[in-house]
Amino acid sequence: MGKKMFLVMTGLCTAVLLSACGTAAPATVEVTRSVNQTVVVTPTADPNAAAPLPAGSVQINGAGATFPLPVYSAWTFAYQYVDPSVVINYQGIGSGGGKKAIIDGTVDFAGSDSLLKDEEYTSGKDLQMYPMLAGAVVPIYNIKWAKEIPSGTKLPVMILDRQTLVDIYNAKVVTWNDAKILATNPDLAEYLPGEAITAVHRSDGSGTTEIFTKSLTAFSPEWTAGGASAVEWPVDKAGNGMGGKGNQGVAAAVINTPNSIGYVELSYAVSNGMSYASMVNKAGKIVVASAESMSSAMSDFAGSFSEKLTADIVDAPGALSWPIAGYTYIILHTENMSDCIKAQKLLEFLRWALTDPGAAKQASDLGYSVLPEDVRDTVLGKLGEVTCNGTVLLP
Amino acid sequence: MTNTASSTHFIRARRGYTRRRTANAVMLVLTGLTTALALIPLFWIIGYVVYQGGQYLTPAFFTELPTPPGTEGGGVWNAIQGTILLVILAGLFALPPGLLAAFYAAYYPNTPLGIAVRFSTDVLAGVPSIVIGLFLYALVVVVQGHFSGLAGGIALAILMLPTIIRTTEEMLKLVPPSLREASLALGAPEWKTSLQVVLPAAGNGLITGFLLGLARASGETAPLLFTALGNEWFDFRSLIRSGLESGMNPLEILVRIIEQPVDSLPLTLWKYAQQPYPERIHQAWAAALVLMAFVLAVNIFARLWILFRARRMKG
Repeated sequence: MGKKMFLVMTGLCTAVLLSACGTAAPATVEVTRSVNQTVVVTPTADPNAAAPLPAGSVQINGAGATFPLPVYSAWTFAYQYVDPSVVINYQGIGSGGGKKAIIDGTVDFAGSDSLLKDEEYTSGKDLQMYPMLAGAVVPIYNIKWAKEIPSGTKLPVMILDRQTLVDIYNAKVVTWNDAKILATNPDLAEYLPGEAITAVHRSDGSGTTEIFTKSLTAFSPEWTAGGASAVEWPVDKAGNGMGGKGNQGVAAAVINTPNSIGYVELSYAVSNGMSYASMVNKAGKIVVASAESMSSAMSDFAGSFSEKLTADIVDAPGALSWPIAGYTYIILHTENMSDCIKAQKLLEFLRWALTDPGAAKQASDLGYSVLPEDVRDTVLGKLGEVTCNGTVLLP
Repeated sequence: MTNTASSTHFIRARRGYTRRRTANAVMLVLTGLTTALALIPLFWIIGYVVYQGGQYLTPAFFTELPTPPGTEGGGVWNAIQGTILLVILAGLFALPPGLLAAFYAAYYPNTPLGIAVRFSTDVLAGVPSIVIGLFLYALVVVVQGHFSGLAGGIALAILMLPTIIRTTEEMLKLVPPSLREASLALGAPEWKTSLQVVLPAAGNGLITGFLLGLARASGETAPLLFTALGNEWFDFRSLIRSGLESGMNPLEILVRIIEQPVDSLPLTLWKYAQQPYPERIHQAWAAALVLMAFVLAVNIFARLWILFRARRMKG
């Protein structure tokens, strides 16, 4: 099959039967197969459909949060095979930068882990946030065990309850063999050292810190430093704190500091091969950060979306729910996008990202949690309300 | 009597001489050591970057666009092309005003405007590069409604200006005034004198200054964050192809190219180094090596040029 044929057919079917094509393209590598499958659906194409645009003729620019950057890059890379006419460029300049850019109208969409403030909605009148994915924040630790580990055995993963985590960052639990830590880790009792705990946190303002401190606030009334992208850490005042810049900086600080604890996005813990603790959640059950426990946390809060589709998903009540989690959002202008073709293509891309199984697999392979169906349908419904020059773009 | 006096004098002088020689030797060793100390970081950095980046340099690194994070393969072809575009744009924007300002400052050093030019050049050289980026974000990006290589090029041009103006001015001052006066006395107008007599005489110095400014600008990240933004898809060939397929004329295609967000090597390096994936970190090292080699090559070329031409002038 000629390259041109491929373009024409993919273009046609994207214009008309996008969801069908979307499900047919599982991942970047399987392009040929997806093309063969689209052949089947092309004959039913609407004869009034517009001629496909030349490859790479629509350039869409987005910028913002660095946390979802890997998955957005993977998606935009895969999407060139779904709709070759579109090139989507997403740059991780930080949530703050992304919000500023979308308010100024210098990007077509923004990514953000943190919410827009009320006055920011006023300056960018038609702004709307859409949750795309969720990320788990996990406590990572590096302990110099008090006793030699017998060869061939592997120590169980540490389990922390919510109060203990608060106590550690409040500098109330200061050694690894504190009774509170021992209570949830009887198997580790003889290995946990009597050494002081160094608690690592972000030195820069960050969405990860916002999720983490919001969780601590929900866990215990004893956490009084608040939930924000940067806080005054009680553990710093006690002299046991340490700062790291970025997720990578925190991971590096924990790796290089014996007997330390820190918090990073799950993907950083996994890719650095670090030990990360399980948590005892609000329901009193032990949970591991995973796709399932994240999905459960999102479902727990599926009904609590605000008008702007924002929701905190920390300290979820479900038995299976991971307690330290947050959404990452896309921000769009819902009425004032200047270029309707661009707007149309952008919405098609977002719908593909939310509904395509291949896209979902890419996300979960990279350590992100995709939206559970109920949440996803809410988001898709809201995407359907976006208009350009008064016309609805996603019928 | 006189004899003894002269011999004590001699001994004293001798002692003074030895002391001076010792002091000289000690100081020579000390300065040598501190020079070595100052050079260690340079060679350490070069060596470490070569060691870390060298092992990940492949042909594909230079010719392919990036693949998604967490996957093997892909390169920084987008950033290499972007760097080329940015450097060309920056050079185009910085050279004419830089030259004119330098001529003015060199010819009329004591006029109020001449003093103002030199003073503001010094001030501009001290402005943090990120501020220049923010300035152009407000002035170009917000007004145009999108990030672009154009905005990035202007930002780098502003960054290069002080270097170009100061070096050009110094070079122009080195041209003997008699040369200029002779030309004027023969009836050549001032512009012709500047263009055809002074400029060629100072030419080598100007090119050097220009290259040094270019090398400085091509290593900058901060001013590009808010102007060029970055673009994994930046590729001259596909931009030209899709432009032609959409029925654009060459001028429209050119405009489209400079209106795209673009990547550059330092920007790529900065972005990749923060990612959790080892492939990205490796590519960041390789990008660092390519960038360093480029800047070093320009610097060495510029300095060799001066050396070579200066010798030829003497000989």
